[in-house]
Amino acid sequence: MKTKKLIIRLIVSMVVCMLAMPVSAMAKDYMIGLSLAITGPTSDAGNPYAKGVEDYFRYVNDMKLLGEDTIAYEIRDDKYETAITKRNFEEFLDMGMVFYLNYSTGSTLALKRDFEEVKMPTLPASYHAGNIEGANYVFLPIASYSAQAIGLAEYLVANHEGKTPKVAMYVHPSAFGRGPVEDVEKSVAAGLDMEVVEVVEHGKDLDVTGMLQRWKSKGVQYVISQTVQSPVATMLKGANRMGLVAESFGEKGKITFLGAHYTGGNDLIALAGEAAENFYWTTSFITTSEPSYGANAQLALAERYGRDDKAANSHNYAAGIIVAEVATEVIQRAKAKGKEINKEALYEELLEMNGMNAFYSGTAVGPVTYSKDDHQGVDTLQLYAVQDGEFRAVGKPFIPEYTDKIK
Amino acid sequence: MSANRWLATGNYFTTYREEQRIFFTHIDRLLFVCFLAALFAWPFFFEVSSKYMLIFDNILVAVIAVLGLNLVTGFGGLISVGHAAFVGVGAYTVACLARIIGDQHVVITHAWPLMVLAGGLTGAVFGLIVGLPALRLRHLYLLMATLSFQMIFQWVVGFMDFFNQGQFIYVGRVYWFSGEVGRSVHYQFWYFALLVTVVVLGFGVRNLLRTKYGRSLVAVRDNDRAADAMGMHPGFTKVSAFGLAGFFAGVAGAMQAYLNRGAGFETFTLHESIQYLAMTIVGGLGSLPGTFFGPAAIKMLDLQMENLAEWAGHILPSTMDLATGLRPLSFGLVIVLFLMFEPRGIANWWRILRSYVKLWPFRY
Repeated sequence: MKTKKLIIRLIVSMVVCMLAMPVSAMAKDYMIGLSLAITGPTSDAGNPYAKGVEDYFRYVNDMKLLGEDTIAYEIRDDKYETAITKRNFEEFLDMGMVFYLNYSTGSTLALKRDFEEVKMPTLPASYHAGNIEGANYVFLPIASYSAQAIGLAEYLVANHEGKTPKVAMYVHPSAFGRGPVEDVEKSVAAGLDMEVVEVVEHGKDLDVTGMLQRWKSKGVQYVISQTVQSPVATMLKGANRMGLVAESFGEKGKITFLGAHYTGGNDLIALAGEAAENFYWTTSFITTSEPSYGANAQLALAERYGRDDKAANSHNYAAGIIVAEVATEVIQRAKAKGKEINKEALYEELLEMNGMNAFYSGTAVGPVTYSKDDHQGVDTLQLYAVQDGEFRAVGKPFIPEYTDKIK
Repeated sequence: MSANRWLATGNYFTTYREEQRIFFTHIDRLLFVCFLAALFAWPFFFEVSSKYMLIFDNILVAVIAVLGLNLVTGFGGLISVGHAAFVGVGAYTVACLARIIGDQHVVITHAWPLMVLAGGLTGAVFGLIVGLPALRLRHLYLLMATLSFQMIFQWVVGFMDFFNQGQFIYVGRVYWFSGEVGRSVHYQFWYFALLVTVVVLGFGVRNLLRTKYGRSLVAVRDNDRAADAMGMHPGFTKVSAFGLAGFFAGVAGAMQAYLNRGAGFETFTLHESIQYLAMTIVGGLGSLPGTFFGPAAIKMLDLQMENLAEWAGHILPSTMDLATGLRPLSFGLVIVLFLMFEPRGIANWWRILRSYVKLWPFRY
């Protein structure tokens, strides 16, 4: 009797296994590659960014958001070197990649032609407007640095009291930093009522007293920064020491400091300390210091995968999540339409991500929209200011007007 | 001279000419030809991913550059820490012309061997100019002069519109007899092109060292006053060594621009210059075989440290960012260890191995 039961159990198990086999055999892996600076220059941004991407893809696979299919993600450190990025990209292609996530401005510009040749939909972490110029396959996740700088300029013009505001621009000595300067100047030429007194490409100085003194003598009232946190922190600490930092927006006789995406975030507060107070920052991402559904989701994801507070509260972690979300979303949409998942299908889905098909991510302040003519994902920006050591939202999300006027 | 030209278990030179032969025995020549044939043939038998083909290509580019650096530093005894800038001069010769006339212009795409030569010649001109201080300066002072060229190069390329302010300048795909060299064969094609260049330039250097100029280069390195007293011209020797190094670097740069399909500022920084110097030291200063070992060793070490740093970057807390330091640490450590324990570089291991094989099975 026991033997009979055992045989029946064995047969049942075999049948179950046989039924299960086709399902697992049919399950597919979709290869998505990410090459970025986990170590080396800018790794302070790249590290949490990589964790955001990794955690979201793990979540997708763990929660079976793609059914039995999974995302086979490969995250490679390129140390902020284009040569390594190129090598990683070639390796990903050999691995059958269907969607690519890139990082720096330099490597995106250098590999733009490769993306075109292999028709690879690509989302970089660089929001340089030049990345999408003449490119069919590069899509910015959020508003470009130019749009961010113009947005800051519009805000300061709208909230400035008195004569035409005098503005200095403090930028990184690279394409990443220089990109928005021309567009801000174009906006001024198109009627934005402000005067760009000086554009400074910073070096690696640890003291910028001379520059601040010069700005003071020139009557500079606002500084728009387009660089990374550390030079901004140096500038803010210098200005704070000289008593130049405005305590309220546009305070007379003082300077109000503003900056685009990579100038702000918690790293700036950690570097500049109390000198970061009243620094105005714009980005398309939410911050965890402002309670929201997206912030909670971001923190929950970080907790689920055991990330430390630094990574969990980083806007770069949010930036990583959103590109992973977009990649997952296009796969889901293509699957729902019964398409075979390949780079062509995902590219088509990206182009259709607009209007009623716009994608809403909890970690961004507006919808992600793409089309053949629009390669800029979240057009909406949110202004934040440091208040008591935390970034607090200032006003409602907005879309800069002059970005269209200068086209 | 040994009676047997196939096997020689010792040195039997009776003339200086014999000692200067490229191959001492027929076995040497045969082995070299077989090795060369293997280098050319293996891509036809083994399928290698684009990633690894790109690594091989980059090693060959570095070999060409280090051939030049070894001439000036190893054989000439003149320190140069601006070699990446010379490589950059070659790359930007191609890239800037592509920017002016269009990167799909027939001159760029079809006359690429001439463009590579042009890159080399431009590098040579800059080498001669930068080498001028060598007439008066030595040691640390010369180091500063070459360093200043590196700095000037970085500033000029990084800020001038003509160089696209350091942003990437595209170079079109080249054409071969079979038509355009497409993406699928791009890295293989440049592997062969680079290999041919390495062989030609390698033999060029080997022969150069057998000439009067080659001997005076070594003599000037050992003692320039004694060389002067012997009727050599130390000034000309030094400046032309810089010119030659510039030529090799320029060729490497031009080929790198074609390989990467463009030139960007970040490939020619001081860090790269120091890497070239490290390749020369690790390979073996003043050794032709070392010129091949050094780039291969450093590039492979770099690759392994990249993997280690990446692994560490994933597991170490982001607040510490210890992984960032792993690569420069290993790099510096290797140079220091070689300088301390094997100043003659990997080339010395090669020499020991050859001596052992030569004497085998006799141990005396």
